[in-house]
Amino acid sequence: MSTLAARDVTKAFGGLTALAEVSLEVAPSEIHGLIGPNGSGKTTLLNALSGYYLADAGRVTLGEADLTRVSVQRRAFAGVARTFQKPRLLPTLTVVDNVMLGGWPAVRSSFFGTALSWLRARREEKVLRERAEELLHGVGLAPVMTRRASLLEHAEQRFAEIARGLMAGPRFLLLDEPAGGLTPHEIEQLGVVIRTVRDAGIGVLLVEHHTDFVFRLSDRVTALDLGRVIRQGTPAEVRHDAEVIRVYLGA
Amino acid sequence: MLTALVTGIAAGALYAAAALVYNVMFSTSKVLSVTTGHLAMLGGVFGAWLTAGLGWPLPVALLGAVAIGAAFGIATEWIAIRRVLSRSDEHLWLLSTLALATMLQQGVALWWGTEPKPFPRLIPQDFSAGLADQKYWLPVAIALLLALGLEVFYRRTLYGKLFVAMSEDAFAARARGIPTDLIRSLSFALAGAMGALAGFAAGQLTFAYFALGLTLTLNGFVALAVGGLGSNLGALVGGLLLGVIGAFATYYLGGEYQQTIAVGVLMLVLLLKPAGLFGSASIRPV
Amino acid sequence: MRASRAVVVVGVLLALATMPWWARDQYQLHLAALIGVYWILIAGLNLVVGYSGQLSIGHVGLLAIGAYGFAILTGRYEWGPWWALAASGGLGSLCGLLLGLPSLRLPGFYFAMATLAFALIVTEISLAQGDLTGGGTGLPVPGFTAPFDSPGGFHALVLIVAVLITWLTWNVARFMWGRALIAVRDSVVTAQAVGVPVFRAKLLVFVLSGLTAGVAGALFASLQSYITPDTFVFELGLFFFVCIIIGGRGTIVGPLIGTAVLTALPEIVAPLARWSTFFYGLLLLAVVLLVPEGIGHMVEIVRARLRPRSLASFAVAPDAERLARCLRSEPRR
Repeated sequence: MSTLAARDVTKAFGGLTALAEVSLEVAPSEIHGLIGPNGSGKTTLLNALSGYYLADAGRVTLGEADLTRVSVQRRAFAGVARTFQKPRLLPTLTVVDNVMLGGWPAVRSSFFGTALSWLRARREEKVLRERAEELLHGVGLAPVMTRRASLLEHAEQRFAEIARGLMAGPRFLLLDEPAGGLTPHEIEQLGVVIRTVRDAGIGVLLVEHHTDFVFRLSDRVTALDLGRVIRQGTPAEVRHDAEVIRVYLGA
Repeated sequence: MLTALVTGIAAGALYAAAALVYNVMFSTSKVLSVTTGHLAMLGGVFGAWLTAGLGWPLPVALLGAVAIGAAFGIATEWIAIRRVLSRSDEHLWLLSTLALATMLQQGVALWWGTEPKPFPRLIPQDFSAGLADQKYWLPVAIALLLALGLEVFYRRTLYGKLFVAMSEDAFAARARGIPTDLIRSLSFALAGAMGALAGFAAGQLTFAYFALGLTLTLNGFVALAVGGLGSNLGALVGGLLLGVIGAFATYYLGGEYQQTIAVGVLMLVLLLKPAGLFGSASIRPV
Repeated sequence: MRASRAVVVVGVLLALATMPWWARDQYQLHLAALIGVYWILIAGLNLVVGYSGQLSIGHVGLLAIGAYGFAILTGRYEWGPWWALAASGGLGSLCGLLLGLPSLRLPGFYFAMATLAFALIVTEISLAQGDLTGGGTGLPVPGFTAPFDSPGGFHALVLIVAVLITWLTWNVARFMWGRALIAVRDSVVTAQAVGVPVFRAKLLVFVLSGLTAGVAGALFASLQSYITPDTFVFELGLFFFVCIIIGGRGTIVGPLIGTAVLTALPEIVAPLARWSTFFYGLLLLAVVLLVPEGIGHMVEIVRARLRPRSLASFAVAPDAERLARCLRSEPRR
């Protein structure tokens, strides 16, 4: 079974080591929680997996394929999708257009084929629009589908980003603090979406501060501190680990 | 050959001065202003108008031209920079300074005319001095003076240190209570004064000509990019290098390909060393 | 909404197509053709500036290349005007490629300066290569063959090409490439995340804009019937740029209206002509400071403000079954 994995990944900025030989594996149909204090390297690891940072040492693999030196774009084509801590929608486009953009890896029409409006371009457009609308119904954003993204509420932006990430049919979805700024009710809804994604066979990496949410949802959890893995295991194991309690959860 | 070289060095000094002006504005605002060359144009045109047109004595006219440059610098900051910076869209300052530069250039063209007009002698000297003529060495002297003055200003004075603090980290500077808006205004005033002074000093070389601004904005930028954004030493070296290469090109190929050569140099440097000769490791995302 | 838009488009096209029969004089036809020629260039430039956000202020250089290409091929080498028109387009896109390859990797201000330099270089070369271009004196340009040799015929030719080019750019803008370009403009990080090849996208639209600029140049030369380096001053490039920024980024209609109004205005209000470039600067400054999204977006913004707020509040309610069904269907291959 092909997994998305970081193997002994090291990343330093100037003299500061953000990640020191970190290994982590996300399997298909798994929610993998990633927790740790601020500055422990959670987002750095997510950026290393999605390609925004290239690892100084170690490897990133997807199944048999070595992604270590591969660009963000080619990782997207390989099936790695992500969301951002601060949602990054295109403010002037409608919600449905934003979600359709996520379908880029599925587009086969060439630039000049599109310019000449060949049948294929129009057909692809239709298929993508239908799928985007379905996804928006699925994550519960149907009422705001045609609204400009700049007019969305914060929670709506988060869900729209997830829909965009799912658009191309990824094998792995990396979520960077998706519950940040959501109300308890919205967090429940987010849980429903993430479980549904997992049950569809997609591997989910869940970077999150909201530890209750992570422990409740995850199949496995990794705890980071100062760029090192301090514990990896089931939610119950990590939650009761003395080191994790000391550095992060508190007594 | 020697004439071409001397002319090239003089022109290069003017490019270097423009690059210094870019740096002064960039340090506090992270903005590369399209109005840079136009500041020198103001110095030339108003210098000629105040002396030849109004008959002011030279020192007073010099002060007047510099004051006009400084005033335009402040106006630039106030109109085109301050409101736009708060919007954090990196394109907007390019558009607003471009708009302002266009208005200035056209305004001067309509008022002053589109023909280059002669600039008066600044120092009594007859015209037989040849290559030792003031029109060649004045720009060089001013460029060196400006670079040295900036260095002293940054190292020795309180305001200079505030400039440096703001250029390194504007957020931290504001957090420590530095009035960043005021400092930015001052830096634009200083840039305006420097630009006008350089334009005044080079007036006999360039004539009082409305279209000097745009070419100087471009050539000053090429000098800046070649030397490395943010480095004053780089600005001097880049400017002189550009001037001398232009001189050789003129000598061997004729004067028709000045711009082509200048940009060729820029592209070559950017390909080989993207940060410029004396720049820091990466091109800043401007 | 859709139907009404189609009615407007057809109406305007009919009005333009029948212009030779209702225009008051030849001058109006000439002006309409000039707007059309400018628009052919601006339509392509709009994808570069308005969509992918690359601030090219030197497209007048590409216009000059198309114009000189056409004049030299028809005049000196006696090519037929149709072949020369096609060659001008090809030359424009080739020069777009050569200019874009090194400069589109550079950050915004560097790129703008590179395009400015390009425009100045083209002027320099057109002055220096006097044998080919006539130097400062310029070149006469032959017209097209019948039935496109009369003012009415030329007007029709420009209209046909303009409609074709507008259709091409509209297709790019409305399908996936349009979204990708806007992502390149508004958030490179997002563009990368969804897999958009940022540099290639910028380069492709830049080459396309070179093509339209080359074609526009050929038609422009033929319309003016005589070209000199002074025809292609930098201010003209600035003018193209201002039409787009004022019309609004990320739309086609806005820049189209901007082009028509800004071209016609100094011609109709004669005293303005002297002040036109100053006026463009002022307009640009006003738009940047007051409506940075461009006048074309003002309707949209006002409409969004007026919309009742009640629609804004609703609870996000995912439909797990529908989502699961959707995820099971493969979007690709």
